[in-house]
Amino acid sequence: MPYHTFKCSECLPDRQKHAVIKGPGEDITSCLPLGNLNTIPGTITERGCAYCGAKHVIGTPMKDVIHMSHGPVGCTYDTWMTKRYISDNDNFQLKYTYATDMKEKHIVFGAEKVLKQNIHEAFDAFPNIKRMTLYQTCSSALIGDDMDAIAKQVMKERPDVDIFVCNAPGFGGTSQTGGHHKINIAWINNKVGTFEPEIKSKYTINYVGDYNIQGDCEIMTDFFQRMGIQVLSSFTGNGSYDDLRSMHKADLNVLECARSAEYICNELRVRYGTPRLDIDGFGFDLLAESLMKVAMFFGDDCVAKAKEIIDEEVARWKPELDWYAKRLKGKKICLWPGGSKLWHWAHVIEEEMGVKVVSVYSKFGHQGDFEKGIARCGEGALAIDDPNELEALEAMYELKPDCILTGMRPGEVAKKIRIPYLNIHAYHNGPYKGFEGWVRLARDLYNAIYSPVMNLAAIDISKDDFDTDTGFKTRTMLSDPGTPREELHTEHMYTGKMDIVTHLRGKTYEFPAPDKPVTDAV
Amino acid sequence: MSFRHRISLLQMLCEESNMEMKEKIAALENYIMQRCLWQFHSRAWDRETQNTGILGITRQLLCGEEVDLSTPAQKCFWVDAACLADGFRSKFPWINEMSLPEINEMMDGLKARIDYVTIHGSLNEELSVKLY
Repeated sequence: MPYHTFKCSECLPDRQKHAVIKGPGEDITSCLPLGNLNTIPGTITERGCAYCGAKHVIGTPMKDVIHMSHGPVGCTYDTWMTKRYISDNDNFQLKYTYATDMKEKHIVFGAEKVLKQNIHEAFDAFPNIKRMTLYQTCSSALIGDDMDAIAKQVMKERPDVDIFVCNAPGFGGTSQTGGHHKINIAWINNKVGTFEPEIKSKYTINYVGDYNIQGDCEIMTDFFQRMGIQVLSSFTGNGSYDDLRSMHKADLNVLECARSAEYICNELRVRYGTPRLDIDGFGFDLLAESLMKVAMFFGDDCVAKAKEIIDEEVARWKPELDWYAKRLKGKKICLWPGGSKLWHWAHVIEEEMGVKVVSVYSKFGHQGDFEKGIARCGEGALAIDDPNELEALEAMYELKPDCILTGMRPGEVAKKIRIPYLNIHAYHNGPYKGFEGWVRLARDLYNAIYSPVMNLAAIDISKDDFDTDTGFKTRTMLSDPGTPREELHTEHMYTGKMDIVTHLRGKTYEFPAPDKPVTDAV
Repeated sequence: MSFRHRISLLQMLCEESNMEMKEKIAALENYIMQRCLWQFHSRAWDRETQNTGILGITRQLLCGEEVDLSTPAQKCFWVDAACLADGFRSKFPWINEMSLPEINEMMDGLKARIDYVTIHGSLNEELSVKLY
């Protein structure tokens, strides 16, 4: 087994099986790190807790809901606004955050009364919102408050409201992945099948495992609807609470992030017979094939529309992707996301942007995610599970990447050693899904790698011996040295608009009429 | 040529042909591992179902046989299988020259190899967990 031992972790024997290098001839039967294990106490992990995984990854993107945490205010406040999961109802779910504000006295005397009072106050404050999710935290779990009972009491007192209770305290798992699991299972156990949707199309899907980061989900939903497919629910980006209660009615579950949402797809398959189709919403080639797969499931009319969309999008955006690919060719990147981009991007970013993925890691991925990622990445890649800050630093010094694609916490560490980073959790200038989105990612990657500030920041101004006679270099001077100005403008970099999502809202779509339900003939 | 020589020549030819088949299977395996996600469901029993369903239909499509699309599950397998068969044909044109017995032999080998990589030889300790 090609395990890699970091010098900084030689004193931590438990870390020895958490990093591997994919050598020549290696595959996932000989090269796989451990995953989804408890973080070793004392190491500075980048993971979140199970509560955060349940609430802030999966629950909170639901747009028409009051998301209440039953615990100290810090749990909800410190994780508020960490991801840009926008919505088409003026971002209601992002604007406010709610907590029952548990204190020491509640730990001693119980906090059920204060919970009930808070629920009523929140519904009174937002009279147009009739749905609520309640999240357990470590504190309320440890004292054993019966949140389900309180929710039932309130629903009895206010018959027009519906409340979902998620018992995923912070300690309930190795990381945020424990919370993903718990909320998936709680939702299907308690809410799926409790609402009947209006079926408008012959073809219906649930779009699962997309959290609408900067509009990703809306871009994909637009494609599906243009193909004549009704998206009954999106789990959970820009998702509506009642739509998600009707997931049982869809013909197909289209799954993006299997790490956070495969559980509900698996259960829907077992309980309702709805098939699960895993797709890639990123990259031209894989996205085109994914759209075709969804269309083929429904039939030739859908396939014709999918082909039309793909041809139009590729013709419009491929030349601009190529502009960036030419300038990104050979650049080394570390692909260090939370979970699913590890495998969504590992191969296609090399194929279509020309960069070399020298390392992949995941904070909360399971071994199954590493199987996908390692299978897709090239020889020599270093794969790390749940890296600590020192290991990430050592990897960056060792691999000398041109850019780190990661979240804000490790990204800021990278900047300190003058390696640019691209935020692929909340995104820099997304959406990154869709054909245009993939070009936006290439644009952001180009801007990060060729940013003039990286050169300027490298100058040690505490000394007098740096050059003062060299001029400022622009991005173009760095990426196209020596190219005459007139030649630079024969091809185009990204020409899209800053906001590519808002115009999709309010669009109308034509759907093929649904089949009439079979009834007993008279 | 002596009998012994003829036998050893035949053995060499067989080995070459096996070698060639192994290389072909390796190319197809690499294609699947880099492009597909269906083989990576989270439990061993799921992977077995996926591999059998999708590779079985891929074989039928490559052999020009009719495919059963009577259930949503079969249709979902067919979607992945159809894209896979198209990809195989365009990326590896030698498939179009193969006889039916050769395709069957190749797909048997591919199924065994994908089962090995994703199930029997897998290092993933979560494959045997009983619940999702």
